[in-house]
Formats: sequence, C-alpha cells, structure tokens
Amino acid sequence: MISLKINGKPIQVESGTTILQAAKQLGFEIPTLCYHPQLEPYAACRVCTVEVKNEKGNKLMTSCNSIVEDGMEVQTDSDAVAQARKINLQLLMAQAPAAEIVSEMAANYGVGDTAFLSENAEEKCILCGLCVRACEQVAGTSAIGFANRGKDRVVTTPFDVQNEACITCGSCAFVCPTGAITMDDPFGREVIHDEMTLGPDKAITVPFMQAVPNAPAIDTEACIHFKTDACGLCAEVCEPEAIDYSQKDEIEEVEVGTILLATGFKTFDASRIAKYGYGKLPNVITSLEFEKLSNASGPTGGDILMQDGSVPKSVGIIHCVGSRDDNYNKYCSKVCCMYSLKIAHLMAEKTGAEVYNFYIDMRTPGKGYEEFYERLLEEGMHLIRGRAADVSDWAMNEDEEGKLVIRAEDTLVGAVRRIPVDMVVLAVGLEPQPDAEEIRRKFNISCSSDGWFLERHPKLAPVSTFTDGVFLAGSCQGPKDIPETVAQSGAAVAEALALIDRGYVELEPNTAFIYEEECSGCKTCIPLCPFSAISFVEDKNVSEINEALCKGCGTCVAACPSGAAQQHLFTDEQIFEEIKGVLSYV
Amino acid sequence: MEQLNTEPTKTTANAQKPFRMSVLVCAGTGCVSNNSFKVMEALQDEIKKHNLEKEIQIVGTGCNGFCAEGPLLVVQPDEIFYAQLKVKDIPLLVEEHFLKGRPVEKFMYTPPEGEVAIPKMSDIDFFAHQRLIALRNRGLIDPEKIDEYIGRDGYTAIAKALTEMSPAEIVQEIVDSGLRGRGGAGFPSGVKWQLCAKQDSDTKYIVCNADEGDPGAFMDRSIIESDPHSVIEGMLIGAFGMGASEGFIYIRNEYPLALERLHVAIEQAEKYGLLGENILGTNFSFKMNVVRGAGAFVCGEETALIASIEGKLGEPRPRPPYPVESGLWGKPTNINNVETWANVPIIIDRGAKWFASIGTETSKGTKVFSLVGKINNTGLLEVPMGITLRDIIYKIGGGIPNGKKFKAIQSGGPSGGCIPEDQLDLPVDYESLSEAGSMMGSGGMVVMDEDTCMVDVARYFLTFTRDESCGKCAPCREGTWQMHEILTKITEGNGTLNDLAVLEALAEVVKDTSLCGLGQTAPNPVITTLRYFRDEYLAHIEKKECQAHVCRELNTYIIHGDVCKTDGKGCGVCRRECPDKAITGEKGKAHVIDQQLCGKCGVCYDVCNFNAITIE
Repeated sequence: MISLKINGKPIQVESGTTILQAAKQLGFEIPTLCYHPQLEPYAACRVCTVEVKNEKGNKLMTSCNSIVEDGMEVQTDSDAVAQARKINLQLLMAQAPAAEIVSEMAANYGVGDTAFLSENAEEKCILCGLCVRACEQVAGTSAIGFANRGKDRVVTTPFDVQNEACITCGSCAFVCPTGAITMDDPFGREVIHDEMTLGPDKAITVPFMQAVPNAPAIDTEACIHFKTDACGLCAEVCEPEAIDYSQKDEIEEVEVGTILLATGFKTFDASRIAKYGYGKLPNVITSLEFEKLSNASGPTGGDILMQDGSVPKSVGIIHCVGSRDDNYNKYCSKVCCMYSLKIAHLMAEKTGAEVYNFYIDMRTPGKGYEEFYERLLEEGMHLIRGRAADVSDWAMNEDEEGKLVIRAEDTLVGAVRRIPVDMVVLAVGLEPQPDAEEIRRKFNISCSSDGWFLERHPKLAPVSTFTDGVFLAGSCQGPKDIPETVAQSGAAVAEALALIDRGYVELEPNTAFIYEEECSGCKTCIPLCPFSAISFVEDKNVSEINEALCKGCGTCVAACPSGAAQQHLFTDEQIFEEIKGVLSYV
Repeated sequence: MEQLNTEPTKTTANAQKPFRMSVLVCAGTGCVSNNSFKVMEALQDEIKKHNLEKEIQIVGTGCNGFCAEGPLLVVQPDEIFYAQLKVKDIPLLVEEHFLKGRPVEKFMYTPPEGEVAIPKMSDIDFFAHQRLIALRNRGLIDPEKIDEYIGRDGYTAIAKALTEMSPAEIVQEIVDSGLRGRGGAGFPSGVKWQLCAKQDSDTKYIVCNADEGDPGAFMDRSIIESDPHSVIEGMLIGAFGMGASEGFIYIRNEYPLALERLHVAIEQAEKYGLLGENILGTNFSFKMNVVRGAGAFVCGEETALIASIEGKLGEPRPRPPYPVESGLWGKPTNINNVETWANVPIIIDRGAKWFASIGTETSKGTKVFSLVGKINNTGLLEVPMGITLRDIIYKIGGGIPNGKKFKAIQSGGPSGGCIPEDQLDLPVDYESLSEAGSMMGSGGMVVMDEDTCMVDVARYFLTFTRDESCGKCAPCREGTWQMHEILTKITEGNGTLNDLAVLEALAEVVKDTSLCGLGQTAPNPVITTLRYFRDEYLAHIEKKECQAHVCRELNTYIIHGDVCKTDGKGCGVCRRECPDKAITGEKGKAHVIDQQLCGKCGVCYDVCNFNAITIE
C-alpha cells in the first residue's frame, strides 16, 4: 500500500493506482477530457493537471497517468493548477469553439471567453484521441487515426478514404466527449429513441420487454468481440463474471412422439410502402414501436414522445398497412382494427392528443369488441373511413408547417382530406414467418396460398396437419388475436396429449417394409416417398421405412429396382397366389 | 582476435611510409557542398599527371570542423592547413607544394583581423583552444576504412571490456566518469546504464539517437561522418555492460552521407567479426540495425523515437514508464545520443579518472558545439566543459564579422534560450546554462549581432517548434501556435501590452504542462528574450519600432533628397524596382516615397547604391 496526501487528506491506496483514481476515492473531482476509465491514459488534454510535491519540489503533473508514490503530497486545486487549467482550457476553447463541454469546464474556472485567436468557429474536435484509442483498444481495428502534425493534426481514416477496416461499431462516436463524431443512419433517418431504430443495435440486449427468460444475451453479429476479437469490456465490468464468450449455439437432437408447430408470425415491414414514409420521415412509427414506447419499462418509461422529446398533440393511425391490399397481402390481418382502437385509446389517455383513425372497414367481431368501439366513438375519436393515400412533410398552408400530412379520401364525406398530425402510427399487418416454406418442407405439411400453414381440415381437423403427430398452434396457421391463439393452442395440445396418453399409434395394416438382404442401397425410394417415411441407414447401407409414418401407398414398392421394398398384404407372393387362385376357376 | 591481426594498411595520417605526404581532404557535408569532392578529383588527376601517386596519398576525411573555410585540406606531416580551395587552384598547389616543397601561402588561412597567413593548423585560434575527445579522429582518418580507425587504437576499448572487465565494472566506470547525456537533458549516463543493467529481462535493446533536428546543429552528423566506428564501439561496450544483444541507430534520412558511412562501417565491422555472433571470440554477440527517421523533429524525443522504430506514429507518450523499464516492444531499452556513445570507448580506454579530470564539478569531459550565425569561424568545435561563452565566441569563433556588436547567443537549439552579453562569462556546463534560462541541448550555438531583432528570433524558433509539434498534447499544439500568432502580431506592430501579458502567462503554462521535452522547452526562446530583452518587446509595442530594422512592417523607408540628388543624381533604380510603385521622381532629381503606398518590402533600401535611403 502507498500512503499519500491529497489536498491535505491522507489516504492509502494500492500501488499502481493513478493520482486521479486516488483522488476519486477521496471524493475530489478532477476535470478530464481525454480520459476514459476503460482506455489507456493518453495525457493529451492536460486538463487533469495537479500539483505534486515530492523530494524534488513542486511539479505540475497529469493525474490520469501519474502513478502514486509514497509520501506524495497532491494539490488538486492549487493556484498553479487553476492557472494551468484556465490557460489550457482557453487554448482548447480557441481551437474548438463549438465543443460545449470545454466552455462549460472553463466556466467553472471563471473563464467566459478565450483570450486566444480562434480559426474555425464550427470546430468541435479537441483531438483528445479517445476515438482513436477506442477504435484501437476496444474495437481492435484502428480504422481511424491521427494524421499530420501540430496544428494540422486531424482524426481521419488512412489516406482520408473510407475503409473496410471500420466495423461501424460506433465506439468512436460513443466516447467522443464533444459530439464531433456522429453516426449517420444509412437511410438518412435521424435517430429517435435509440433502441427503437436506427444505427447499430446494442450487442447485449434483452430480446424484448418481458422476454422469458428475462436475461440479456450477446448478439454475436453485432458484438465487437466476435468481429475483431478485441473489446471484452462487458466481461471486465461484469462483477459476477457471468460473461462467457466461449458459449456456442448448439443443436440438440430430441426424440419425440408429437410435435407442436407454434412459429408465429412476423409483422409487415412498413418501409415496403414508401408512400407512408416509414424510415424516412421522423415520427412515423409502427404499432409495435408504439408498444415499446408505451411500455412502462421501455426506453421512455412509458411516455409517448416524439423525436425531439416533445409530446404529440395530434396523431394519425393508419389501418390495414400491408393487409387487404392487392399489392401486398390480400387477407385481413384480423387483429389490427382492435389494436388500433386500443392504441387510439391509450394515445388519447396518455397524451391528450387528437387521434385520427383511417380505416377501410371497422371489423370488431368478438366479445366486448364492438362495445369498445362504441366507447371510443363516445370518447370523441376521429374515424375517417378511407384508405390513407400517403404521408408527407410537404406543407400547403401554415397549419401544416412542420407537421406530417396524411392525405386520405373520406368515403363517408366523399372528399379528399389533408390532415396534419405530429405523429403517425402504422397499423402493420401480420405475415407468415420468412422461413415458413423451409419449415413446411421439414415437416412435410402444406401452406395456404398466403403462406400460412395449412390444417388437415378447416372444420373437422383444424389443428392437425397432413403429417401424423404434427399439430399447429397459434398464428403460424393464420392471423389470430391472443384469446383465439390461446384457445386454438389448447386444442392442439389436447390432440398431442391424446396421442401421448394412449402410448401407442395405430398403424395401417398395409405398410411397406424392406428386405435388408435384397436392398442395394440405391436410395431410389427415399425421394419418392410422399410421407418422408424412408430414411437411409448408413452403417448397414440399406433403406429403412418408419412404419409409423408409412401410409401404404406403395410408391416405393413399385419403384424399387431390386424388389427389396415390399408391402404388407401386397407382397409379390400374395399377389401371385391370388392370381393363381383366381385363375384356378378358369 | 585472429581478424585483428591483419596488418593495418599504412594509410593513417601518422604513417610516414611508403608515402612522403598525406593530403587530408575534408569530406564532411559542409565541405562537400562547397565542392570538396571535385577538388579531391582534381587533386588526384594532378598528382597522376606528375606521377606522384606513390609518394602522395589522398584521404577523404570526415568533417574537419572549420566549416566556414571549406573546402579544406591538411597536408601531413607538416600540418599545413589550406582553406577555401577551388579546382583551379590545384595545379599551382601541386606543383609548388607537393612537387617543389614550397607551401603556398596564398591558399592558407588568414584570420579576419590579421594580415599574415597561418600555415600550421594547430596555430590557428579556431583549433588551438579545442580539446578533442568525442571528435578524436576527426579529419585524421578515412571514415570509410575500418583499418584507419583501428590504427588509431580503435576497438581496443571493446577488446579490453570483453576480456578484462565485467559488465558491472564497465557500468561503474561510466558512473565514475561522470559522463552525462549529450543529447539535451544531461541525465547521468552511468545512472541510466545502471538502471538498465538492473532490469531482469531476457531481451534488452540499446539505441543510438542520431535524429539530430535542431536548426543549425550538426554535431551528430559530423561525428558519424568522420568517425562512425567510435559510435559502434561505444554501443558495443554499452551493450555488453547492460546485457543487450541488439541495437538500433535511429538516424534521420536527411543525412545521406552519414547514413552511407554508417552502413559501410557496420559492414566492415561485421566482416572483421566486431559485430555479429561471438565477438572477438567471446560469448558476446550483438546485432546492429539502422533505422531511418522520416523527418519529424519530435522523433528525437525518446518515447516518440521508440514509437517510430516500432513502426507506429511518432509521438511521445507519458513517462513513466521510462524506456529503461519498458522501451522498444516493451523491453528495457537504453537510449543515448551519438556524442555520448562516441565518448564511451575512450573512457573505457583511458579510465574514468582521466575523463573526470576534464570539465567542471558537475559536468565532466568535453562538449561538441556547432557554432553558427553571426560569427567569423562558423564550424564544429569540441571544448572542455567549463569554458566560458566568451572564449567560445571570441577565441575560437573569432568574434563577430564586420565589426558589429554582439547581442546574444542562443544555445540548445529551438528549445534553448538567448543569453545576453552580460552573461558571457558563464562557464558552459549543464547547470549554468539552465540557470541562465537556456540549456546545453544537443550543442547548437547561434550567435546574433546587433542586426538581430530578438522578438523576431523568438518568433523564428516558435515557427520551428510550432511546425514540429506532433500535436498530441493541447498546450504544445495550441500553445506554440498561439504564441507564434502573438509574436507575429507584435512584429507586425499590432501588439498590445495585454498581448505581452497573455504571452508570458501562456509561455509558463506551456512550459509547465506540456507532455514531452519539445513542448516543455519550446517557450524558452520567448521566456529568455522577455527576460533579457524586454525593452525590445516594449519598443515594438509602444513605439512601434524595431531597433534592428528586421520587422519590416515597423520600418519607414525615407529617401534623403539631397543625397539622392547630389550623389545618386536621381538614378531612378529604386523607382523601377519598387513593386508598389510608391516611389516617384525624375531622373536627376530627388525621389520621394509615398508612405501610403509603400508595402515596406525594403527593395529600395537594398538597391540604392548611394545610401540615400534610410530606415527610421
């Protein structure tokens, strides 16, 4: 342990501690600009200068990188220190007049304006090197560095050209104390609520609010450590040492008797309908993004805010985005009317905004649904019957200035209306998962023309599929609201349990089988089987038929070139004997 | 030892046979740029013509030191010194001196005030007061021939070190000698060596800092050009003493001749088994690398130098850790300057006691200086520590040319300070110079006379440090730039007293808070000129006057009508040359300058042959 005095107060710290860290332990704040606890000290801004008294006399030293020594006496705010900080901050103010943090820091020392000449009033960069060090030490890429000497020094990429080394991790922008580095959205969108959009997502996230299990996970696609083998800051700061980079996705094989498909849906990508301006206009959000905003544990703590942090005074909700539309999906997504009404209600309740609903037809079948709709009408919700034509920020009069204008035909009035609002919520429809086709093939089931999984019979077997033992639960079968999903899933589970409870499966009597000694292993039968009942046994080099799946169609029997595939009740011997028997009467 | 038994070819200056005379032609950069190579060629041709090849030997040596008088030639054994030779002088010289044995007086050196030529080199004041230790072989050997270095007892020190001394004894010898770093800071070399020797590491490096960047300084270049082996031998001894097995010479690429001679020297030393595996048959092995600097002044700072060798951006980093703890690639590294290394062999050879007997209490040995500026004998000199500045300027330097008055001497390069007349009796050692506000530095000395404006001098050096600041730390990057701006404002006549106060405060903060030596010393020219020549600053600010007439914006050019008319007969040269068309007048009549139009370029003053124009 090292004993020293800071501002007269004695303290003992471990050797290797910097003066800055020791001062912090005692509660003395030392201003810094180029320091970040996760990066190696650089000692370039010289703002953290302190006065140190040791056997050699008094000396000004930078506290961020100076290691404590026994018997040191440190003054963090002596006259000499204040004078040095004043001048150095003024130098930085003159160099980067637009760097607000510097002026604020200088104001603490009674400096209002710099005594020095300033060249570029727009300059923000104070050349503290945090970005360069973050890029090198955290991102492990060195995509940016310093170029030129002295006053010409700049932070730039090699030869001033964009380079591939940049992994767009955003570390540089994150550490920049003056805002000199910003990240641009590739689509030109401005960042609203950071989780909701835009720019790179955080690499460690809880997938969504109320996720089960509610544990953060590393997205290896976004994580710097997995890209460049550098960083590792999360492991450094995680006190329970819960971060383990060596964990890998594993594929486990489980043998089961029945399978429930509950792969759900995905929401329609609103940016496909360019005229609604999603992804281009600020404050055009989807219904799911509204849910995030509205969530009490969400990024805004449940407040409905616009990009500039203010509360919207008027909101438009556009129904049927991606649904009931010949250009996208013809079907009705079924849930949007009701959730849009809910959003309208919440919006009015939370913000007091005027809410406009643009609908084609109001579909509210179901228990209590119509009553909810009636209630909203009474609450004074604006309901405009007609598909919204577009959303733009192009103002035609003063009222529309700075607003989003929704243009729609009001079919009840028979006129085209322009309604200026602050915020637009797009009621996006439901779509099958993008990999539904792949799943369909894997389980040998069918899809409807829209891509939803097809049940065996719409009335008599609504949760079964054409493959025995595979059942459908929830909206993978088609758009459903929550009560319907729960009810239908219950039915699917009951069907599955019935099979499990019985403990056995009744087979058709006329299944096919393979004479192993005759099978040449040519695999001709395997792709032909419409029920995927045939598999290949590698070590025996023969095909094998799963009799639980075989429906006895006989295709394999007919196709087998060596006659190894035979069918119960229809073996060659039986057929020949039957022929003989029939012919004996002739 | 086998390799050393090869008989040195008898070509050294001392050797009498088989040559009747040795002609030592200076082939240092100064003389080379004055055509000494052509003079040497002419000499060879002429000697061939007279069939004297077997009698007269011609040797191209390193820098002789008396650069003001180049190209130089010394004829041994009589030590006849010829100066300022031209190719057309050679036939006469060869015929008279080499053939007929009559030294040619008209090619000899004549002191500025004297009338009689001085034939012998050692009688010339410039040489008489010097003491050559680091430069012991300068002008005496051909730097491209290792045998000549060996002939002058070269490589005996490393032989002694390897066979008779332990590493600890070597380090102790350097400690006892009191040798201090010749690169600038003056840290005791022995202490540094001890620290490095103490480090427990399987790999250690030693580095020779030859990134000499001060304007007007050429000590390191001359040492390498005239005696590269002394540096190599010094590094070998250091490596053995500290336990290093690899060394780097970091030399600036602007020194092509030094680089070439260094490469030749290393190649020859390797051939002789003095570098490489099992040196002189012992277990000691050493590999030497040469790294070329890319032109950044700051790379002379040791941590920036390390970064540069490692291939990184050449910028300093905070110390500690010092290089001796964590240097090249994180290994213990000892860095010494060229001159320091060149001193090492002779200390080992002749003992610490002998070395410590030279110099002052705190500063031992000698120091090489490059003397430039307003001085008669521009050149390279080596003097014992403790000699006064006055002796250097007047005895060795030969005083100020054209009878002008001495004003100040600037030592230590752009980071040094300006010392005025009343401090000239200061003994030259590390402490005295620091107290006077200057520094020993690497050894550059710039002499200034009454025609020098001290504000302009400060501005000049700030221009250099501003341009060479790497830009890492704020006070150096921004502070030097701002100081330069203020000084420019003052020299242009726009300065205020408030500017002066800001300048003083800024200079102190830049000095106290900069990261490395460059920034910490960059304000020295400002601080010392403010200390000793404050009146000049005040004259610029209050009276808008530059006494030395250097700051053109403050000058007023006036044509004295009577002189112009009577002496010059209104010649009109000034009128024709004036770029601003500010001068009017007719031929035969007095001319007049329109002060409104005058751009203060000073062309009229320069072209007037009748002294009719004066500066007010």
